[in-house]
Amino acid sequence: MIGLVDANNFYVSCERVFQPKLEGRPVGVMSNNDGCVIARSAELKALDIPMGTPAFKLEGLRQRGEIHLLSSNYELYGDMSARLAQLLRDACPEIAPYSIDEMFVYLDGFTNDQCEALGRKLRQRIHRHLGLPVCVGLAPTHTLAKLANHFAKQDPHYQGVCLLNGQGHTTEALLKRTPVGSVWGVGRRLAERLAIGGVNTAWDLRESDEKLLRKRFSVVLARTALELRGTPCMEMNALDQPRQRIMTSRSFGQPTGIFAEVHNALRRNAQRSAEKLREQQSLARAVMVFLNTNRHRRDQKQYFPNAVIALPSPSDDTRVILDAVRQGLEQIHRPRYQFMKAGVMLLDLVDAEQHQLSLLNPPTRDRHPFLMATVDQINQQMGQGTIRFGMTDAPAAWQLRCAHRSDRYTTRWDELMKVGTHPGAVAAAEAKQQQKKQQALTSTKRGTQPRA
Amino acid sequence: MPGQSVHFTPALPLTCQPLPYLTFMGRAGFSGFPSPAQDYEPCTLDLNTRLVKNPTQTFYVTATGDSMEGWGIFEGDLLVVDRSIEPRLGHILVAMLEGEALIKRYALYQGTPHLCSTHPHYPPLPLEGSDCQLWGVVRAVIHEYVR
Repeated sequence: MIGLVDANNFYVSCERVFQPKLEGRPVGVMSNNDGCVIARSAELKALDIPMGTPAFKLEGLRQRGEIHLLSSNYELYGDMSARLAQLLRDACPEIAPYSIDEMFVYLDGFTNDQCEALGRKLRQRIHRHLGLPVCVGLAPTHTLAKLANHFAKQDPHYQGVCLLNGQGHTTEALLKRTPVGSVWGVGRRLAERLAIGGVNTAWDLRESDEKLLRKRFSVVLARTALELRGTPCMEMNALDQPRQRIMTSRSFGQPTGIFAEVHNALRRNAQRSAEKLREQQSLARAVMVFLNTNRHRRDQKQYFPNAVIALPSPSDDTRVILDAVRQGLEQIHRPRYQFMKAGVMLLDLVDAEQHQLSLLNPPTRDRHPFLMATVDQINQQMGQGTIRFGMTDAPAAWQLRCAHRSDRYTTRWDELMKVGTHPGAVAAAEAKQQQKKQQALTSTKRGTQPRA
Repeated sequence: MPGQSVHFTPALPLTCQPLPYLTFMGRAGFSGFPSPAQDYEPCTLDLNTRLVKNPTQTFYVTATGDSMEGWGIFEGDLLVVDRSIEPRLGHILVAMLEGEALIKRYALYQGTPHLCSTHPHYPPLPLEGSDCQLWGVVRAVIHEYVR
């Protein structure tokens, strides 16, 4: 059995762990530079505010206190994601993080009942230990697990855990009322083409002739159909399909702890990721860097860190991404660990054409419109890696606009969550601080007056 | 070549190391007198191993307010909160009550479980019938006298 653990409204849920007052309120998280809404709580969804709404349109609602809009706090989300992965790692034989808030767990050799029980236990434990609500989808294949997770989220009757068999009446009934576009790897355009051929539901796709699918569409779609039948035939790497994030990771031939070597590997991964990003004409808003030690070597010290770096503006420029990767690596690299694997994940992708330009942070100043295209073209014609990027520039100042960012509760000593010993204590302390600030301000003013 | 290495400045300034590790210079090797510390793992006491038993589930928070001073929690203290501990009577908890996180002691008051503080202004809050939710159990308080 394969399980998919997916956090509900991950970014918002992370914020709520440390700001309980946001519980039950409409909350949105904005993209870098507070451009548009990229994560919504259930309450915000209920207000019919679509994903990607520009933040300025919601300014009125925010000022009236009807909704809460927060700047993205990637440091917090990255840390919570690492905790989630670690918690699963402790409980399951094998896991594979798929994105910042989705993790596959592999439960070979368990019966269905055991899997379901484990799923419930995991869900409960994650909620109790990290404060994050998650849903668990269990199925024999990745594609079905993803659908199972979708059902677990949609239908409250599952209580967050849904197990789908390859065969069976429940699976049939559910697949029959699932539009084919909801299946993993079937995009909008592909769904339209499938509809012409009379394939409207997930069940239709499952029942389609595999050879015909391969001939008319692609091997990937044929595999998806097989997966819907419960025959596992997708490796994790093939799952990149609807690319909402791009991951490139590679295991080292030999474990290494040397910064330069790890950095080199990451640079390669970053360049490959950036190419993929441009290939699908997207821009990334954030970059996640992760390292793994060899978890099968119990005699060695284990360390599975990750770091998420927000980009000043969505970008597909290899240089910008490389710089973020270096920053991330500097944050998490520790000597004396032997790393087995390193990877780069590009997060929160936007369509390059639909992306809104920021007034305050124009795209990288020295950006050359044809540079990246030329590099890609040469690499395509002359072989991958013909042109590579060497050392990147000195650290650029990442000046992000994040007026409404919550504190980085888990990664900064001076931004910890404040907890009162009695109701109102925190509010009182904050009021006092505000007063002090104002006093300081007036006193400095007074101090400057004689001089003026 | 040990003879040559003398002329090189070592990559790490040896005097700034927290503990006198044996470095790659391997001084004991060619002096003929093995250091008596050679057989001991270079290790120093790490507060993490003492205060943080479950790193994944451990969060740090700052205390605000004066009503837990009787239990040794002062304004500005650092609390080590472990979310994986099952709360028992007598534990200090971080609990969520009406959208606010509070530090209280979980104890019996007049025979029923209450959230108590040590300040006369704040009487014990009965747990029964309240929508109080557990956030975590406080494993340790760190009060810094010199900052």
